[in-house]
Amino acid sequence: MSNYIVLVKQVPDVSQITDNAFNPETGTLVRTRLANVINELDTHALAVAERMKKNSGDKNAKIIALTMGPPMAEDVLRYSLGRCADAAVLLTDKALGGADTWATANPLAFSIRKIVKEIFNGSQNYFVVCGMQSVDGDTAQVPAQIAEELNLPCIAYVTDVEYKAGKFEFRKIISGGSQTISPKKTPAVITVAKYEYPLFAGFAASRRASKMQLIQWGAADINATAVGVKGSKTRVIRVFPPGKTTRKCLHVNSVEELAKLICENYRADETAAKTAANNGRYILPAKRKGKFDRHFEGTEKETADYKLLADQLEKMGIDDISKIDDTAKDKIITAVGGSFHKKALDDMLEGLKNYQPAYHGEVWVAAEQSGEVIHSATYELIGKARELADSLETHVGVALIGSKVERFTKSLISAGADKIYMVDHPLLAEFDPVPYRKALGAMIEKYWPQIVLFAATPQGRTFAPMVSYRLGCGLTADCTGLDIKDSSRKGEIAILMQTRPALGGNVMATIVTKDSKSQMATARPGVMKRLPDDPHRKGQIIKETVNLTSADLSIDIIKTEMGTGKVNFNAEIIVTGGKGMQNRDNYEELVGMLQATLSGKFGTPVERGASRAAVEQGFIDRVHQVGQTGTAVGPKIYFALGVSGAIQHMIGVSNSRTIIAINSDHNAPIFKQCDYYMTGTCEDIIPQLCQAIQKA
Amino acid sequence: MDNAELSKTDVLIVGAGPAGLAAAITLKKARPQAEVIVIDKAASAGNHNLSGAALEAQCLETLLKPVDPQWRTSEAAQKLLARQVKKDNVMFMLGKELAFDIAIAIKTAKLLRLPLGQMSHANDYTVSISELCRYLNGIAKQLGVEIFYGFAAQDIIWDAQNNKTTGVKLVDQGLNHDGNPQPNYLPGETISANIVVLAEGCDGLLTEKFIEKAGLERQANQLYSVGVKELIKVRPEQYKKFGDNRIVHAMGYPIFTPVLGPGMFGGGIMYPFGDDHIAVGMIVGLDWKECNFNPQDALTNFKSHRWVRKYIEGGTVTEAGAKMIPEGGLFAVPRDPKTKTIGKSNVIILGDSAGFVNMCKIKGLHNAIYSGYAAGRALSEAIFNPTGAAGRYTEMLHKTPVITEMKSARNFRQTIARLGPSLGLAMSVFAGILPKFKIEKDYLHITGKKYKFKMNREFDKDTFTAVAHTEHREEQPSHLTIINRNTCEQKCRPKFGAPCITFCPAGVYETVHGTVRPANFSNCLHCKTCQRKCPFDNIRWTVPEGGGGPRYKTM
Repeated sequence: MSNYIVLVKQVPDVSQITDNAFNPETGTLVRTRLANVINELDTHALAVAERMKKNSGDKNAKIIALTMGPPMAEDVLRYSLGRCADAAVLLTDKALGGADTWATANPLAFSIRKIVKEIFNGSQNYFVVCGMQSVDGDTAQVPAQIAEELNLPCIAYVTDVEYKAGKFEFRKIISGGSQTISPKKTPAVITVAKYEYPLFAGFAASRRASKMQLIQWGAADINATAVGVKGSKTRVIRVFPPGKTTRKCLHVNSVEELAKLICENYRADETAAKTAANNGRYILPAKRKGKFDRHFEGTEKETADYKLLADQLEKMGIDDISKIDDTAKDKIITAVGGSFHKKALDDMLEGLKNYQPAYHGEVWVAAEQSGEVIHSATYELIGKARELADSLETHVGVALIGSKVERFTKSLISAGADKIYMVDHPLLAEFDPVPYRKALGAMIEKYWPQIVLFAATPQGRTFAPMVSYRLGCGLTADCTGLDIKDSSRKGEIAILMQTRPALGGNVMATIVTKDSKSQMATARPGVMKRLPDDPHRKGQIIKETVNLTSADLSIDIIKTEMGTGKVNFNAEIIVTGGKGMQNRDNYEELVGMLQATLSGKFGTPVERGASRAAVEQGFIDRVHQVGQTGTAVGPKIYFALGVSGAIQHMIGVSNSRTIIAINSDHNAPIFKQCDYYMTGTCEDIIPQLCQAIQKA
Repeated sequence: MDNAELSKTDVLIVGAGPAGLAAAITLKKARPQAEVIVIDKAASAGNHNLSGAALEAQCLETLLKPVDPQWRTSEAAQKLLARQVKKDNVMFMLGKELAFDIAIAIKTAKLLRLPLGQMSHANDYTVSISELCRYLNGIAKQLGVEIFYGFAAQDIIWDAQNNKTTGVKLVDQGLNHDGNPQPNYLPGETISANIVVLAEGCDGLLTEKFIEKAGLERQANQLYSVGVKELIKVRPEQYKKFGDNRIVHAMGYPIFTPVLGPGMFGGGIMYPFGDDHIAVGMIVGLDWKECNFNPQDALTNFKSHRWVRKYIEGGTVTEAGAKMIPEGGLFAVPRDPKTKTIGKSNVIILGDSAGFVNMCKIKGLHNAIYSGYAAGRALSEAIFNPTGAAGRYTEMLHKTPVITEMKSARNFRQTIARLGPSLGLAMSVFAGILPKFKIEKDYLHITGKKYKFKMNREFDKDTFTAVAHTEHREEQPSHLTIINRNTCEQKCRPKFGAPCITFCPAGVYETVHGTVRPANFSNCLHCKTCQRKCPFDNIRWTVPEGGGGPRYKTM
């Protein structure tokens, strides 16, 4: 008999964001203006747990809903009780507030231990089922970190479950495909990426739920080892609004108009090349021209303050900071017109004495390979690591783990790596988070690079939290910006500033690592730039060995389905069909029609794409999947037909120059993330549009 | 408690609007031991409530004083009743440019104690009904009323033999588009209740079914109008100019032009909503004749009138919605033909479901609350004698201002419907003593005539529904059904060009492969205009899965 613990979380309803929810001055989201709801994927997790219970015919199995949050989070527990949960645990305590993923996973894991002991009477036959990620944090780290704390296998990105011959078989998403696996043992942590049939609330069940007593625990009840701000391994240093979307988001009323826009946009020169705000590459303080030059501070305010201070010191002819007395300090404060106070000045002066980087060691990239190829995101990360390592005057290392992977070393070196740290073992032929974590963990502990970067793919997002948690390091998920900066006032030189979107892309946050020996981050595929290959580059290959036995394996892989066939995502135009195409015939007909029309009109190859949902429905082969779990693309024109615009999809098309959307749902999120859109069914619009394009 | 016990209650109130919540509060306060359950189809409190709204706050005093004599001093009450009306404009719009304030005429009428004088709104409060419902929801919950959102009632069970209801059936959930069960199918449960209170709002699904099942009758047809409303965030200086303590009603252009037409009944409203928001709306009687008319077009015309424009130009629409209003007045209140009770046996009907809107005042919110209060008082006795509920409720209702007020406004709307706005409005002074006009149902008034002020809307239906935040689970069966497709194709389209496509404020109806269908039912705002205005009475609104529909926050 299995029992189930479902993790649920209360989140702000980011699907209903209006302009009113933003602070007009700062541009940041005011969380209190949003309604609180249960995280959508957690509702899927509840349904998966219920399905597991039902399919295994285990009537006595218990489903326990667990949440950590403020007292009002009891709403999501009552939601769970109204659907399938038998009991609910609310973990609430002021001491738990302000936690990052590390200090969230830790107390949750300790709560699970307590649930197992007290409610399951110590029975180790249980599953922890959670939503893959929460919509506010978007990190996907907590479940994997919990698995690591509890020493359990983590089966991530699950989309379906079957019960066969006394065992559960999970279908899960992997990069470029899907896999059916079975955990070798229980307990296990399951994260759900999507399940089509969330549960409805029953009236009697909801009424019972409203009357039920919740189990409430505080920090003292669970004896967690890392809680709250103090137990966190990362620190948010800045929250800011995302740059105004550069997408035009224009509603187009007629196919004629749209056809005209397509022609204009296809023919427009790519003059507006993307120029990242670049104040030059980071230089270590010891190498800078001015002795007091601190123009690489983490925030603009600090950079400006240091500039004022440096100018003043120069004016006053001060060369030796230790000789500054109180009169000189007062003089400085008066001269800068109160830009900073005495305490701040003391900190700043103290910071100026420090030239030592806070971290030492190389910059590493954890390579991802499918057995056939290296994932394109790995090359992008090497490009980024190269830039960081050059600034820090160190080497780029790539950790390459797998079976028969030596053949990949040359391409990794050409892409910018200096050293390849390789573990080659037959048991690593297929990705299994436990032995992979063991191999990478051992290498990191041996060499301690100062930075380790992972791709934010299904694999990386499961693997990185397990590795970092085991090594006691902080981890920032899904970064879109990685820069070396100083935080001189805090005495930290040359640290990694990790910038990422949160709350469904509605805010940006810059995060730094703390209390860790290495700075770790996962980065979004398709955002960092791959360097041009240099086949003449020389690199070093360092072979490492790790003791692995089959007892280290946590899962049985039953079936792997990868996309097949060839696809040309370098095409100038990509036409993607989503779930809104209804069926394979419609997809074939309408995507095909537009593809042929555009290709004929402009004389350029046009490729077909598909959203994950469309691939799942069998409209087209998986190799055509675009998005976070498919391929990241960047054509001149990207057509999204019947694609809702889920964040996972949009991440993969952000490099497209022009995005055109057609959708019958007036609320489709894609309308806020595209350049031009029409509302209506594809069946109606596409044939007319094709005629209009031919005439245009 | 087992499931059978959990599905049973003393009193079940259908609809957590002002009427239903007022009933729950009054009853629970008087009888704390009674089990009082309220269900509502909206996802959360206030989501399906839309009104102007100008509120006569005296009803809240009546309702809440027994709960807490100091209620008015609470922070929530202060916030809710923050804007009292000091200045009352009644504008007559003549074309796109001119506007005259005729408030003086209303004031005169008031002095002469003519029914029309009730149109004065001085000392009312402009409130958001969504906020009001959230406020009452909080008070009710505190008293121990059990309120469940996201539960939609599909039918009321009527035991004709014993002449009473046994309860209410909830809607099935988890059916696919073709009506077949999905893996997460959950059949609709039945909630057994000793007393059922129907407080569903205008044109209630259960109310109308109940009227038929229990044989209640209306002396006159119920007449409806539809209101479309937008909440517009304007510049601080525009808002300041408009003022926090003012209320504007407008007649005339673009729906009524004397002699030349059009001659629709209704008008525009502009209410201040605080935080630099102005609510702008248009209410139009459903007996309009023009087959290509859409109230949103009238709203657009109203918004671009010079007098209105100056306050809202450049503003952003932050919320929008639509809802019907029952306008038939006292003659259209459904009653038992023999006992004259409003409801029957252990079923009572409240607020807009009964039709307690005073058309002279163009207000019904206070009556809804009074009817809830009367229901609460009546049920505190009737829980010991459930089948006496309707009788006791009707008696109690006569002790509130509701019936007296409705009496003075009876025949008002019918007079205008018969004589047209110009003469009707003048003659309505004598409406009370005029013979009762028999007016046909709204949908029968449509003709092939076209609306003359039609213009392009700068604000399309898609955006309108987007800011109404409406959604339904797409895979469920459509909750809107066309009874006979042939009627659409062979009669309606050739004659009127399928008006539902135009008038539906959410753009639910579309021609798909050549036939008219509720193609975008997931956009539905639950206003039910289609059910009352389809020229061939060929559309039926049923209830979708709970939690669907608009999500009004400050409407």
